[in-house]
Amino acid sequence: MSGRRGDAAGTWLLGGLAATAVAAMLAFGAYVLASGFGAFWPARVVELGLRDGSRVLGEVVGGDARAIALRGSERLRAGDAYLRIARADIVAQSWPSEVVAILHADGRRTFMRGDAVASDDSAVEATRPNALSLPARLGLSLARAARFIATAPEAGGVGGGVLPALAGTLTLVLLTSLFVMPVGIGAAAFLHLRRGPAVRIVRAAIDTLAGVPSIVYGVVGLGLLVHGLGGSLDRVLHADRLAVPTWGAGGLLWAALTMALLTLPVVVISVEEGLQRIPESLRGGSLALGATREETLWRMSLPAARPAVLTGLVLAITRTCGAVAPLMLVGVVELAPALPLDGTFPYLHPARQFMHLGFSVHTAALASTDAIRGVPHAYACAALLVVVAITLNLVAIVLRNRLRERYRELGT
Amino acid sequence: MTIDARHHSPAGGLDVQPAVALRVAGLRVWYERRQVLDGIELAIPDKRITALIGPSGSGKSSLLRCLNRLNDEIAGFRMEGQVLLGEVDVAAGGTDVQELRRRVGMVFQRPNPFPLSVHDNVAYGLRLLGLRRGAELERRVEAALHAAGLWDEVADRLDGSALELSFGQQQRLVIARAIAVEPEVLLLDEPASALDPAATLHLEELLRTLAQRYTLVLVTHNMQQAARMADYAAFLDAGRIVEFGATDSLFTNPRERLTEDFITGRHR
Amino acid sequence: MSIDPATCAKPLPSGPARARARRRHRRLREVASAAAAALVVAALAAMPFYLVVGLRPWDASIAHDGARLLRLAAGSLRAVACALVVAIPLGLACATYTAHFAAPRLRAWLKPGFELFAAVPTVVFGLVATATLAPWLKHHVATALLLLVLVPCVLLAAGFAFGVRARARGWLPLALLPLVIALVAAGAWAAGQADSALIHPDSPWNAMLVGFALGLAALPLVFAVAEDALALVPAAHTRAGFALGATRWQALVTIVLPAAGSGLLAAVVLGFSRCFGETMIVLMAGGNAFGAPFDPLSAVRTLSSELAVSMPDAAPRGAAWGDLLLAALALLAVSVLASAIAEGMRSRLRGRLVQAHP
Repeated sequence: MSGRRGDAAGTWLLGGLAATAVAAMLAFGAYVLASGFGAFWPARVVELGLRDGSRVLGEVVGGDARAIALRGSERLRAGDAYLRIARADIVAQSWPSEVVAILHADGRRTFMRGDAVASDDSAVEATRPNALSLPARLGLSLARAARFIATAPEAGGVGGGVLPALAGTLTLVLLTSLFVMPVGIGAAAFLHLRRGPAVRIVRAAIDTLAGVPSIVYGVVGLGLLVHGLGGSLDRVLHADRLAVPTWGAGGLLWAALTMALLTLPVVVISVEEGLQRIPESLRGGSLALGATREETLWRMSLPAARPAVLTGLVLAITRTCGAVAPLMLVGVVELAPALPLDGTFPYLHPARQFMHLGFSVHTAALASTDAIRGVPHAYACAALLVVVAITLNLVAIVLRNRLRERYRELGT
Repeated sequence: MTIDARHHSPAGGLDVQPAVALRVAGLRVWYERRQVLDGIELAIPDKRITALIGPSGSGKSSLLRCLNRLNDEIAGFRMEGQVLLGEVDVAAGGTDVQELRRRVGMVFQRPNPFPLSVHDNVAYGLRLLGLRRGAELERRVEAALHAAGLWDEVADRLDGSALELSFGQQQRLVIARAIAVEPEVLLLDEPASALDPAATLHLEELLRTLAQRYTLVLVTHNMQQAARMADYAAFLDAGRIVEFGATDSLFTNPRERLTEDFITGRHR
Repeated sequence: MSIDPATCAKPLPSGPARARARRRHRRLREVASAAAAALVVAALAAMPFYLVVGLRPWDASIAHDGARLLRLAAGSLRAVACALVVAIPLGLACATYTAHFAAPRLRAWLKPGFELFAAVPTVVFGLVATATLAPWLKHHVATALLLLVLVPCVLLAAGFAFGVRARARGWLPLALLPLVIALVAAGAWAAGQADSALIHPDSPWNAMLVGFALGLAALPLVFAVAEDALALVPAAHTRAGFALGATRWQALVTIVLPAAGSGLLAAVVLGFSRCFGETMIVLMAGGNAFGAPFDPLSAVRTLSSELAVSMPDAAPRGAAWGDLLLAALALLAVSVLASAIAEGMRSRLRGRLVQAHP
């Protein structure tokens, strides 16, 4: 009987640890998404009456048992009005509904009594946060989120929009996919069609590449592509001004090539897996119509394995969005002076440095001078990244399941 | 008229016969070291249905797959002998296998439409031959679907997935796909074994029509089907041809004891 | 009314000319796909080649700061050890539960769930660790450690006390979800009440913090590899155990785990390799300073974070450049070795199981 009891205890342990893992993952995801969206939530403005008779307007941004941290009206620049007020000094506390909170174009926030509102040219948004209903708060949050995605960062400040980072990420994704997909499909075709030691070598290389840490790709990208290839290009093309590197510094092209190398294994593996799922009977049917093995692959198997190709593409995009470490070595910057994609010829500027959403998370969280703004901004960027990654992967999983089901019906 | 010819073919069938489409001579086949066919001699008559019958493992399918060299894809396969398609020796090393397979089409046990649209399935072989988009391609696709008796059922969903057709329709689609490239011979490997009785009947009717234009070689486990459909039949056992002749005489008056046993169900 | 193909105007374009065109086409594609494959191999070969050549081993005048590299490697190992404390028990337990106990429908949700979690970029883990977890952990190390011990103990005790019904077994994690959450919440609440740290970490950014984030990030990989291995054990093996009167747990311990053992080991090795090379989490949560070599509560600087911090500013062929290349080479070597070991173990597993059941 105690044996049965012991069994149950073991089962509970495994099930409980699984529950712990599931809880941790759910909590993690929910926390990131909530914090990301919470960054846009309009905070209420408190009015504090202090012991010395003065009054302070501001948003509560933190605090502990002894004091609260307040963001007062920022008159000169963003981040210059954080106050730490001892709880003992507070004699009155209210949330007057007529308070107006103004967001200025340079990222400053100021607060004032409603009757004193002066029309301010630099105001981006003026609200009465204490008087907002729940739907109005939600609407304001959504409007802020839209502005976050659609505008550039504030000049010199933390916060504002992520448009350049988003554009940089998308351009990088596009260029990387352009490089990695043909090579990945070609290599998968090679593995699928050929036999013998060459195939074993290539397969081993892919398995090994898949395990190499991303930072090592960054190092090799920096050494071989930026310094090696880029440096040589500069010596040939721009010999007149070698002191300022054109290609010999990190940039979009080198980053895309590095990421293409980094994502190559996942593309090859998922395309080849898709090809293997095409039933033998279909291959036989194609051969019997007079197709060669190559023609069968390119005209029947690959089109039939389109979901697998798409899965490979999605995984590559996910990694390109998420692998920040190698990018730090090959051209990502905190603030790029110009977009890699714009209206001036030749539209795409592969030598330019660029911004990246993942790197924005890192800089906003750590390098920012204004941590109280930086962390919510980082969470907003992170939530955006997570939403993109999860959505893409969800699509990939659904596609893959449909492919599997279809071929289970057809049988092998 | 072909159907009539069957009833007039003389006993034995080998004395007076129509033109020969495929002539197999001294064919021997091995997988690895195991010999599966030995000394096959066979003259498959032009524009007739020839059935290959015999117990499981007798080499029927192997023989069928020799006729379009589909066995080449199997590792360890080796064959000796001659298979003449007109002037061309199918079995010879230098043969253009792709062109051979165009001339000798094949339909498999289970319908195997490609996971493409109905139209692209039929156009598949034509595109291999370099026929691009255009009226010519469309005309041939339509003609093949007509010939397979499928046009009326799929005319309004040519761009739909072929996998959404019923099993019977899929099998006829596969036939349309095969005849689109104007083969001379159609190999059929138990084409009705995965179909229900109604679809089987439909398919048999189609095959009989096709026999007016193509030479059909049919592998089947179903003796009634062989008797109903075929003009000629070859009985294989253990990798050899035991008996070959007009279906009528082979089924009603077999010369070999083995054949009789098999047909009447006493074999093994 | 059928249209006779013979009425089609032109004959089909077959014959030697078309065959030649097709052969040409084929050669082209063959060459292209072989080139792609060659590129893969070249990429792998280029990495060690570049790193070794960049080190210029023939130039004796270059001195490497070996002590610094060793301290970095020690930092990497310290961070990995902390991460594996989280990732290995959780990953292997989840995999074992999913493969052996879970109801098929739960399994169909758990596997893609882990896969989705694997898609979360590591920089997000770094953010949560540094911005949210670090301020909490600074004051609550003792609580965290207590929870690490308490949760398994409570689970074991509860299982011993209440037993488990066969029907509930397949959905156990869902039933236990509230229990686990309540336990953790209660622990956190109690810690908040006490509000006095029994243990003071040297630095709010330390190896233990890295361990939590890194362990969670590596969890899906450990799970996936282990689950694959466990799922490879044929159901017939397990059924044979049942036929001999084994309970489901006994079948797990006596049949499934021994059979899949090398696959589970492969999961551990790959988890190790993954954590060893991970950069962003360590960079953001590790404090980037050399802490005490065996103290999980002091700051940590690893081979990978050293590369991320120093490489962008290092002058090529400068004094520190060689050390950085050496660090990269060490990371590459560990990952290649781990891949080889894991692949060896997995192919051994596959060989054995397939041999047993062809």
